[in-house]
Amino acid sequence: MKPAILLFLAAALCSPWPFAAGQCAGAEQQLQTVSRALTSETLDKAEQVLEAVEKSHPNCPESLLDHARLLALKGNAGEAAEAFARYQERAPDDARGYAYLARFLLDQGRYQRADETSALALEKKPSEASALAVRGEILIMKGRVEEATNLLEQALQVDPDNVEANFQLGTLADGNKRHAEAAKHFEKVLAINEHDAQAWDYLALNVEVLGEVDRAQNAYLKGEAVNQPGRHFDSFLDYNYGRFLTKRNQMKQAKQHLDHAVELTPEVRAVWYERAKVNLLMKNYADARDDAERAAALPDTQGIILDLQVYALLGQIYGRLGNQELSNKYDALSRAARVPVQERR
Amino acid sequence: MKLLVSGVFAIALISVPLEAAENPPIRFENRQKQSGINFILNNGTTDDKPIIDTIVGGVALLDYDNDGYLDIFFTNGARIPSLVKDSPSFSNRLYHNNHDGTFTDVTARAGVGGDGYSVGVAVGDCDNDGFPDIYVTGLNHNTLYHNNRDGTFTDVSASAGVTGVGPNGEKLWSVSAAWVDYDNDGHLDLFVSNYLNWTFETSKVCGRPGKRLSCSPTMYEGQPNILYHNNGDGTFTDVSVQTGIAKHIGKGMGVAIADYNDDGWMDIFVANDNERNFLFKNLGGKGFDEVGVESFVAFTEDGIPVSSMGVDFRDWNNDGRPSLFVTALGRETFPLFRNEGTGFFSVDTYKAGMGFATLGMSGWGNGIYDFDNDGFKDLFSANSHASENADEDHEQQYEQTNAVFQNTHDATFRDVSMLVGPDMQIRAAHRGCAFGDLNNDGRIDVVVSAISDRAELLYNTTKNDNHWILIDTIGVKSNRDGIGTRIKVTGESGLVQYNHVTTAGSFASSSDKRVHFGLGADKRIKEIELRWPSGRVQVLRNVKADQLLKITEAEK
Repeated sequence: MKPAILLFLAAALCSPWPFAAGQCAGAEQQLQTVSRALTSETLDKAEQVLEAVEKSHPNCPESLLDHARLLALKGNAGEAAEAFARYQERAPDDARGYAYLARFLLDQGRYQRADETSALALEKKPSEASALAVRGEILIMKGRVEEATNLLEQALQVDPDNVEANFQLGTLADGNKRHAEAAKHFEKVLAINEHDAQAWDYLALNVEVLGEVDRAQNAYLKGEAVNQPGRHFDSFLDYNYGRFLTKRNQMKQAKQHLDHAVELTPEVRAVWYERAKVNLLMKNYADARDDAERAAALPDTQGIILDLQVYALLGQIYGRLGNQELSNKYDALSRAARVPVQERR
Repeated sequence: MKLLVSGVFAIALISVPLEAAENPPIRFENRQKQSGINFILNNGTTDDKPIIDTIVGGVALLDYDNDGYLDIFFTNGARIPSLVKDSPSFSNRLYHNNHDGTFTDVTARAGVGGDGYSVGVAVGDCDNDGFPDIYVTGLNHNTLYHNNRDGTFTDVSASAGVTGVGPNGEKLWSVSAAWVDYDNDGHLDLFVSNYLNWTFETSKVCGRPGKRLSCSPTMYEGQPNILYHNNGDGTFTDVSVQTGIAKHIGKGMGVAIADYNDDGWMDIFVANDNERNFLFKNLGGKGFDEVGVESFVAFTEDGIPVSSMGVDFRDWNNDGRPSLFVTALGRETFPLFRNEGTGFFSVDTYKAGMGFATLGMSGWGNGIYDFDNDGFKDLFSANSHASENADEDHEQQYEQTNAVFQNTHDATFRDVSMLVGPDMQIRAAHRGCAFGDLNNDGRIDVVVSAISDRAELLYNTTKNDNHWILIDTIGVKSNRDGIGTRIKVTGESGLVQYNHVTTAGSFASSSDKRVHFGLGADKRIKEIELRWPSGRVQVLRNVKADQLLKITEAEK
């Protein structure tokens, strides 16, 4: 066999588009562009190129899958579901169809079906990066972290730039206080999709802990610039950036971001607590009191702000307001609050 | 275009030395090799890494023979599990200063090799005889060495009644101690910080086999601190209960003293490890109120306790109010609590530029001293993580370099650790450190202990034309050391500074009792005002700079 034919066969076998050699022949480059645009969520570009492919290759199944992904990303849930179903009819053994469907279901909050579909995707092709990534994400949600980590790392072996796997591994590293490693994962995500405000937020938080102040500032600003409603919208970005600005002694700006954070997530104790702290530092004691009291009234379901922290803050505020009785009350509560057992790390 | 480029380049070239000239670098040089001091801190660690092996390393700078030069004392560990100093490598050590940069080991002659697993040291003239006595804290032994004034010491712990035994007769795990005349009766009393309930039977094991980590103190119950009242006859009375000290259970590490509310009575701060810090407010010498929470020094700005290790309590912004500098572990920052003078402190860690700078550091011994004699006190921390296997977490390091933060005269500090000389770039498991002028050149030196490493004798070699004064107080009605005396210095330029006499502070260590002031360009001091613990106020005027000045408490 001639080397050229060998190369062609090898390319066909390794191609991410199983139909590329048939009904999609000649559209490979455009499909690659569409796929990249979908991954980076530059939807206008994806739509434009995809339309051209659909016209020139009306029977190309790959474009149908991309169409489904596009609809899902645009939030057109009903039509996306139909498109995924049509793709599965045409390519019932393509793991990617199930993997992207699983991600779509996950975004829709249909966790049971997402779980089943992701398992099926992996069953169809255990080495498919998109299937490994979405299955890994679901296993994290199910608390099977070790198994999930293995799958996500496998996904990166197949596709080192896989956005979802990098994001998930980044969150795991963040949770385990491996901040440098987390930052690397989020940088990979952002190199491909700079519209991901959550990834910017995570990057900022992790480099902040590493003491890289300018880098954190830059990441927060970029996150703020792209934080638009959608699947990557980050309702805690203003909270985190506000905290960061407080540490940089930029109280006015910090307050603005924390005001926004309070508007976005008024049910979260942490945002009221943090704004109370800024108000205290700005000597707005009455506002600080109102915010801290609001924080105290909210349960801390996620263990972000302990009762101890709120009591200590209220003790300070009432102390500065000269309200001895309430100051004493919260000081006593601070003293009585237990410090959680922590690992020495 | 070429002109513009070369113009920018020229500005860049000029601006660097100008900036350097404004703020000349602090420099330290480790002269351990030529000193003859080969002390290596031996914590006797075992594979299980019991929590006791990390709480070690007290250092004291004292002039035990009154020859005008500081000598050095180191505490040391013991064999685990026997907790016995069964080898010379576990001996505490006293080194005599030969006045030429060398030292002689006089431990055996002095009789201060010690017993048990020693931790901290506090120096004070507890019998007012003009010779400093040494108190050594430890896990299973606390020892008071009375200075016999002939180069030898006698263990008087039992007869003095300062053995570190708790209310139920059990030996408490003592870490730091502070000599303080809390009731201003002219005799130094003794405050002892105690850590937590630990025995081999209750010892916890953390981390994976072969790479054990030091367990968190949150896994153990804390202990009360002890206050011994000096009866003035060579004996002490444990007054912990009647003064309100004993009812507060913490995990005491560093101790520092200062009159934070300027009422003439010394207050006591205890850095607690993973518990809220204590500020014992002195109630006119009759007892103490623990006001750490009310004063906002119990927690960080996030309202949580941190692994507080060392502490110093001095006025770093020349406002006349002693403020706090605390060390802690990585990811916690080193908290700075600024005394507002209203009974409240504000947590200025980030505001002062210390937050991000110290996030990656773990600190033990520390101090607030003016290392470049510019009239503004700087900060020093002796660094290392608690766990020998901390590197299991790739972002933590067990062995770390020490750090220096230069005061930028606007209530902020700049991390200059990388600029202070090659000897300061050495990573080690640093622990305690003590501050003082080893060669009487007017610059504050630092001696640092390090686990399994030679101690560092960091001589201050900062080169500038700044002036200084070192004040040695001699109390008459007040305690002989003058501990607790508040000193206000007004330079000829009008720069006003404050400090007070104390040997306490840092972690488990004891510093030069002489009080140092950098004077900047001032060659003369307009006024020195001393407020002695007796209440007497003494003023000296038009004093020459660059001298060691002995001041005896005036009769009236």
